[in-house]
Amino acid sequence: MENQKVNVVVVGAGAGGGVVAKELSTAGMSVVLFEQGGWISYDDHTDDELHSERNPVLGNSCGPDDKRYRRVNIHPDGSRHVVLPSEGDYNNISACVGSGTVTYGALAWRYMPEDFKMKTTYGDVPGSTIADWPISYDDLEPYYEKAEWEIGVAGDDRLNPFAPPRKKPRPMPPFTHNKEATLLRDAAIRLGYHPFSMPMLRNSIPYGGRPACYRMRTCIGYACPVGAKAGTHNTVIPVALNSGNCELRTHCIVSEIIVNGQGKITGVRYFDQNNKPGTQLADIVILSASAIETARLLLNSKSAFFPKGIGNENDWVGRNLQGHAYPHATGLFKEEIYDDFGPGSSVGICDFNHHNPGIIGGGYLANSFIRMPYSFAGVRPPGAKMWGKEHKIFQRENFRRMADVHGPFQEIPNFSQRIDIDPEVKDFWGIPVARLSGKTHEENVAGCTFMADKAELWLKEAGAIKIWKGSGISNGVSAGQHQAGTCRMGNDPKTSVTDKFGRIHSTPNLFVADGSLHVTNGGFNPALTIMALGFWVGGHIASEWNKGNRFK
Amino acid sequence: MNPQNKLSRRRFVQMAVLSAGGLSVFARCTKAYSDWRFFTGSEAKLMDALADQIIPPDDWPGGKESGVTNFIDKQLIGPYIRFQDTYRKGLNGIRESCKVLYQNSFESLDFDEQTHFLELMEDGKLTGDLWAGNFDRTFFKLFRDHSMQAYYGSSRHGGNKDNISYKMLKLDYPLIIGQNRYQN
Amino acid sequence: MRQHSKLHKLIIPVIILFLVVITAFGSFYGYWDSASPSKTCSSCHEITSSVEILAESPHRNLACKECHGTAFSNGMHSLKEKGKMIFEHINGRSDEDIRLNEAQILEVMNNCTRCHKTEQARWLSGGHSARYKDIFLNEKHNKTEQLNFDCLRCHGMFSDLNIGELIGPLNTSGPWKIKINSTESNPVIPCLACHQIHLLGSTHQNPDYSNPQNASYNRITHNPVVSFYNRHDKTHIPAENLPLLEVWDCNRPVNVSSDPIMRNCIQCHAPNGKHEAGTSDDRTPRGVHEGFSCTACHDPHSNDARQSCAKCHPAVSHCKLDVTTMNTSYKDRQSPHNIHWVSCTDCHINGRPLNRQKR
Repeated sequence: MENQKVNVVVVGAGAGGGVVAKELSTAGMSVVLFEQGGWISYDDHTDDELHSERNPVLGNSCGPDDKRYRRVNIHPDGSRHVVLPSEGDYNNISACVGSGTVTYGALAWRYMPEDFKMKTTYGDVPGSTIADWPISYDDLEPYYEKAEWEIGVAGDDRLNPFAPPRKKPRPMPPFTHNKEATLLRDAAIRLGYHPFSMPMLRNSIPYGGRPACYRMRTCIGYACPVGAKAGTHNTVIPVALNSGNCELRTHCIVSEIIVNGQGKITGVRYFDQNNKPGTQLADIVILSASAIETARLLLNSKSAFFPKGIGNENDWVGRNLQGHAYPHATGLFKEEIYDDFGPGSSVGICDFNHHNPGIIGGGYLANSFIRMPYSFAGVRPPGAKMWGKEHKIFQRENFRRMADVHGPFQEIPNFSQRIDIDPEVKDFWGIPVARLSGKTHEENVAGCTFMADKAELWLKEAGAIKIWKGSGISNGVSAGQHQAGTCRMGNDPKTSVTDKFGRIHSTPNLFVADGSLHVTNGGFNPALTIMALGFWVGGHIASEWNKGNRFK
Repeated sequence: MNPQNKLSRRRFVQMAVLSAGGLSVFARCTKAYSDWRFFTGSEAKLMDALADQIIPPDDWPGGKESGVTNFIDKQLIGPYIRFQDTYRKGLNGIRESCKVLYQNSFESLDFDEQTHFLELMEDGKLTGDLWAGNFDRTFFKLFRDHSMQAYYGSSRHGGNKDNISYKMLKLDYPLIIGQNRYQN
Repeated sequence: MRQHSKLHKLIIPVIILFLVVITAFGSFYGYWDSASPSKTCSSCHEITSSVEILAESPHRNLACKECHGTAFSNGMHSLKEKGKMIFEHINGRSDEDIRLNEAQILEVMNNCTRCHKTEQARWLSGGHSARYKDIFLNEKHNKTEQLNFDCLRCHGMFSDLNIGELIGPLNTSGPWKIKINSTESNPVIPCLACHQIHLLGSTHQNPDYSNPQNASYNRITHNPVVSFYNRHDKTHIPAENLPLLEVWDCNRPVNVSSDPIMRNCIQCHAPNGKHEAGTSDDRTPRGVHEGFSCTACHDPHSNDARQSCAKCHPAVSHCKLDVTTMNTSYKDRQSPHNIHWVSCTDCHINGRPLNRQKR
């Protein structure tokens, strides 16, 4: 298929790609935005737990589907598993316009200044690839602000003394707590912690023409039926499309980056919605397909000029894959603490994000989102029966008496946790699939244990009568929906994949704008940072372009 | 002529014509018809007994009554088509092992005996070629998970009849929630 | 001449073939049209359970076609659909979750009204007969709240399209347009929104409405004439299986009628997520009328309640208030007599009627 050449191709309409497409198209550049899925309708999955992004046992209603997609996961014992998107080892992110921002829990964190300077703060860690970002919090601050206002965040820093400095408050007031969160807030105050209502990419009041959240039971893992949850699909992508300069091509799979006879990147090859191959030429190509898929695309684009894949001269593409371990404690209370006032997760503390004695990094702690009944059937104290009479009685006696405190722990990155290309398995389109392997750094065990202890203490103060806890460290690849780090940015081309503006070191016109850029992944949900990086990368390209730089 | 007669004569002609041609189409239908989509009748009975072990009936309905077997049967020709062989092999294994251990079918054992058998299965303690490679444990975990999905998941997939598990957990279903109202 | 004879030879077999086909098809259709469902429609097992339920329902004496029409009722669309189903079936891909599309729902509804003329007339006279254009092109609403998926839970629950396909643009500035013109005048709450036809139950029995205060208590609940259509699951939930509303007036739980029909009403006329009384579209009676079912005052089809006060109250109360002229409308939030939450003390402050209070 012949397509007219455009200024920019953006691969992936998620948190990063949606923002970049908006920044460039509104600056007057012509953009084609590729997305492997389509627009999501709430009608497609509603509040069905068995199709939700976090528990898609019967197939993920927001994609990717089980029919066409595969990945390979290498377990620590060396065993090799071909996995479906509905299985946990796949480490899925919704494949649709807006991607994870359609189905996320919408926590809207700014990383803290220390998160950009992990090596300076904690020094070298043997066996790890810990490093500072080439940009600081101050560099990114204005872009966080743009993300907060253009996409829409509710929250207030006044109760969080650890919040990084900001120039402008968020556009919406914070959410109110439900019964469980109120209980935990009061307990945290008694412990001398600093609880606050966490920032959310969700409308607490009408904003951006979209209504306020009406506090349903289901939220994380589901599309929002009223559009109160802000993603790129209902904010920046419509702006990009309305600019007249952006064409969104849904159900298209980009298979390869085109390198011409001079070693220059000239566009992408893809399969369209009818699975017919096509090419799209462009001056600039921007990858924002998620940490796993962006790396896969680079590694699959082999040529005489890039025999190991684009940007992979020093074997850094796909390395440093990071997610988050979720240390947690679960507590049962004497009285019912569940009031069905959704969607849960609202009270958080940042008292343990950094400067914990003997611990590298840390993370926030918060109450979790409401667990739906099937998910709750997997929540039991160690040693408890997982079936039978006892299990059923536990289910009905404790569903309304349980609280879960957890948080994402900032993992120390390592070189061996990675994605590469599986030599055998191919997807429906014949494209070799991603292979995930490696394990989280051992240093993380101490940190996660520390966090789980704090979670336990908090629940105890809140009045829990039985508590159990876990470090949340997976016995294998840690990626999940917070996957990051596979094309880290840096000043030295020998130890990074892109420069500080997301440009692949060895090319003038190929950029990355998603979580792959993260050098380290913070002790926070990464969505707002990915959006801010979208504004950062997109803003840089647009201003250079308008100065006459053609990235040749 | 009595209209009743007229009708029956016409019906006779119709039946004759139908049997000549039309029935060949329906032969396919009647042949394919079964109470279950994947399970055989006896497999379904065994599944019902397993379901009542995983989620036993008490003040609230058990796995069998809530449609666990129906859910699994339905998924086995859909998203869980990849588990068809596992179920066929696993259910046969349970049948065979019970024959050896108890000289009886699983369904005929009393409740506690059934429980004991499943505990052996869960711990990977069944013997015989049928269970090589810890297949007893794998299969137990599989139908345990699927039973939980059936009982506690959305009723639209064939389990959780009348949304019974949501009622048991005192969860409104459908959720009672009104639209946003703004004061202007 | 030779040509003619060749044609002549062909004509007779063609005519015979034609006659055979016509006779076979005609008689087949005649049979199909008159035999019992178990021998015809429901011999496709995809709909067996539906037919079995109908056999135990109040509408047990009706043939399928009385509501659903025949295979030819809506022309090519029907034939194409059935042809596709047969093809899928023969290829072993039977879809047991067969649903009526919106056009078919409306066709069934037209057939309902052949018998239920009174109910239809009442429905037409009330708010529940609103059309798509009345609801979705309401400027005042659309300017304050962007249309979203959830609108379709209570209006247009049978729509084959999602909100974005149905109407545009999805913003608060408009101008809004229903994308498919033919939808504009369709009703958003057809009979099947609250009624399930394939439903276990005995033939119809009316509750005793002679004492409206007791109407909710003498309802025969094992004959649920009302069933809520849940768009999420694309299925009806009999009213008696719907959850009871828990609603809070500050920290006090409000006494809510257990009338199954009211459970159906509150699915849409619902409070906010915290279940605070009087929020969102909650009109659960509090005050003097607390515990009443909606149906104690409202006609279920027209929703009309105008005559209902006089059933219990004398036209002129003891304190000389004329109840027939009082502004009891829920629409007027300022009205002191809003019957949904008027309480004794609203008029009888300090135990005395308002008109005898000292200024």
